Amino acid sequence: MSTFREGQDQAHPNKTSTLILALILVLILNVSIQIWLLYTTLNNALAQHADIALPAFLASLALFLVGFFWLYYLPGGGKQRKIVKNVNFSDTYH
Amino acid sequence: MARDTKDNHWKEDFPIPELESTQVSRRDFAKFLCLVSGGLATGTGYVAIKANFFPPEKIVNEHFVCKKDELPIGGTKAFVISGSDIPYILIHLEDGQFRSYEQKCTHLSCAVFYLPGSGRIECPCHNGWFDALTGEALEGPPPRPLPRLDVVIKGMDVYVKAYEPSNKAVV
Ligand code: FES
Repeated sequence: MSTFREGQDQAHPNKTSTLILALILVLILNVSIQIWLLYTTLNNALAQHADIALPAFLASLALFLVGFFWLYYLPGGGKQRKIVKNVNFSDTYH
Repeated sequence: MARDTKDNHWKEDFPIPELESTQVSRRDFAKFLCLVSGGLATGTGYVAIKANFFPPEKIVNEHFVCKKDELPIGGTKAFVISGSDIPYILIHLEDGQFRSYEQKCTHLSCAVFYLPGSGRIECPCHNGWFDALTGEALEGPPPRPLPRLDVVIKGMDVYVKAYEPSNKAVV
């Protein structure tokens, strides 16, 4: 069965670079939003306002899940491992 | 340096190319970001559970602090309530009112002090200021007002009890 993976593995390295950069940027964005959520939750909880805590947690969890399944689209999953298998190790040590 | 053949076996035992062992690939970085993301979600969940199901214990009853004439105008008395180790201060304001607050700055928990004559409570750590009348954060890094206690005066005795926002205007 062929998936997007095959095409991705054959793409030009420039294309792969752009793709991986975009994926990482989205992950960083997610993490930034999560930091903000945690900061706000903590501040409100310490001020005895617990109401915001649950929605903030759900949002944070959703962002984590998005990021987690996002990893599936990381390029290089199949290709790089195949190359590694063919490396002649005696050449890689100095 | 490896002298005999026995020493050369590590190459087969640990077949990891040098490049892979010294470089963090972008793939690994992305996975690490995902791990951080999971950590943040867990942390937020922990705070949410703590805030909703294990709220800090409320102070019950009234607690005796000191006699009214023990504390001169502008004076401060530090005290703890039996059964808890949170430090509190009792302040005798210039206009004769008493106020009581937690002595822990809401920024990074430094001890705060009343600056006599100013009507303000100072946190020396990062120059934070609170209103001595309400506990409101006035200046500097503190993000929240100081948690306060209600002061009850019975004759010559000064008591404190849990703060209820409804009786804000009295005393
Ligand atoms: S700890 Fe009080 S201002 Fe930072």
